[in-house]
Amino acid sequence: MFDRVLHIIKKELSIELREKYTFFSSILYLIAITFVVFKVFGKLEGPTKMALFWILLLFTAINMIGFSFSYQTQKRKLNYYQLYDPQELMTAKLIFNFIKVFLAGLVLLLLMYIFSNEPLKDGVLFFKVYILMVLGIVVVLNLISAISSYSQNQNTLVAVLSLPLLIPILLLGMRVSLISERMFSDSGVAKYLLMLSGIDLLLLTLSIIFIPIVWKS
Amino acid sequence: MKLNLSWWKILGVILTIYVLIAGFKVPLQPGILEYSENKAFAGQAFSTDLTTYNTYLKKATDLNVWIWLPNDQLIKANGTEVINDTKVKADFLIPTDIEIKNGKSILATLMIDNAEEGHYFIRRAVTIKNESEANLHPGQFFDLSVIKSKTRFAFPFQHILYETLRNTFFHVAIWMSMFALLLVSCYHSIMYLKSSDQIHDKKSSSLTTVALVFGIAGLLTGSVWAKYTWGAFWTSDVKLNMTAISLLIYFGYWILRGSLNDMEVRARISSVFNLFAFVCLMILVMVIPRLSEGSLHPGNGGNPAFSTYDLDSAMRLVFYPAIVAYFLIGLWISELLFRYAKLEEKITFDI
Repeated sequence: MFDRVLHIIKKELSIELREKYTFFSSILYLIAITFVVFKVFGKLEGPTKMALFWILLLFTAINMIGFSFSYQTQKRKLNYYQLYDPQELMTAKLIFNFIKVFLAGLVLLLLMYIFSNEPLKDGVLFFKVYILMVLGIVVVLNLISAISSYSQNQNTLVAVLSLPLLIPILLLGMRVSLISERMFSDSGVAKYLLMLSGIDLLLLTLSIIFIPIVWKS
Repeated sequence: MKLNLSWWKILGVILTIYVLIAGFKVPLQPGILEYSENKAFAGQAFSTDLTTYNTYLKKATDLNVWIWLPNDQLIKANGTEVINDTKVKADFLIPTDIEIKNGKSILATLMIDNAEEGHYFIRRAVTIKNESEANLHPGQFFDLSVIKSKTRFAFPFQHILYETLRNTFFHVAIWMSMFALLLVSCYHSIMYLKSSDQIHDKKSSSLTTVALVFGIAGLLTGSVWAKYTWGAFWTSDVKLNMTAISLLIYFGYWILRGSLNDMEVRARISSVFNLFAFVCLMILVMVIPRLSEGSLHPGNGGNPAFSTYDLDSAMRLVFYPAIVAYFLIGLWISELLFRYAKLEEKITFDI
């Protein structure tokens, strides 16, 4: 199973490399929007910085993987459909998209550092919550992308369906990242992290269970 | 014409009527609304005007006003003067030998009792200070056993809540029955995924519609309640906002259903989304508010849960039937919606 997952990831990577512009357009979007935000706010600090970080990352993630289950051609979809087991496909896409969003987030973090000129106060804690958040965002967006790939007006549907589902993850992540920025006292960090991993695990399990049902056509 | 009557529909209607009548007509317990003085000094006279609620003090016999000390000793008023049905003036002489622990003052409770209405009190009403060292007025203390009690079928009198307490039978019960309806809807979603039978999908979607309407009703009743107790229609309360988000998720369910045209795909996808949404709702409404600080709802953010202090036996007798009543009514409405959907499909196929 692991081989086949790896095989799908390789295939996704080759498609991605063939169409480099999609990834780089997302990165460009990120740079442009960060620049706009920086110019509008003047100075990025405190809770605003963290809130903007998560919102920008969220919208970039929606751009990047909101449509990962809709294919440019019907032929390619048929190809995927015949070749792969849906659960393996989902796992591969999760890993691949996780890496993509993770990298985009690092770029965003770098931009934030350049613009605000202040480093993270508790890097270790921030990266713990960062990994959990990216995982949660990717899991939800992948499932919503698969669900909405059947619809005609996919663009609105992805945003409308995924944003409310992402709010619990965002709220918890926001709280922990503010703790990592020393905005709150760190009482209960372990509890929040445990909660976040619990939610991630739950959503992950659900999406792996549901994907064969969604994917069959 | 055959009327499709079942026992549970009749039960639902009877229970709803019972809840409406009992919920609005059963009186509150008598209670003390306010008092004019809140500082007393040991060895001095203390007199206060008490305003009561739901009482008939003019008719009351054997009326006494008490100061209830934290160590469960009682000081009796040496003079009470009933002004009208809801106003009484009480004069005390505070003894100097009352036990005052840690520091110089204690918070005592004011209590009224009479033969007709039993007793009622307001907690932490009077601050008693002891500034004199000498024991000039040794007092006569009474035991709690002298207090007259009277049990009757009434809802508890609670400060801030007062009559809005009755909203428990509407706001809270509507929420509970909404959860029950969503649970049944999830059962039908699972059954659809198992059997691919369109009937289950129609049942599930009509149950979700009714639950959504119940959710909006719960939000509106809660909003009115919040206006009269917390001071605003919308507050930053965690549970309130999480609930609004979960309603957004279910609106998303409706947009999803609307945007899919193929019947089989729509049923399959929306069943999956329904289950997913229910899990998210559970996380949003049940888990997150309990973790975060500063929620105004009972049972969240360190507040005690409902059942521990304000759901007394009289309220239980209305509250639990209310949940069942709304649940049954919801089932009935959803059954009507389901039959409507079935007829609509039949007409479409006939044409």
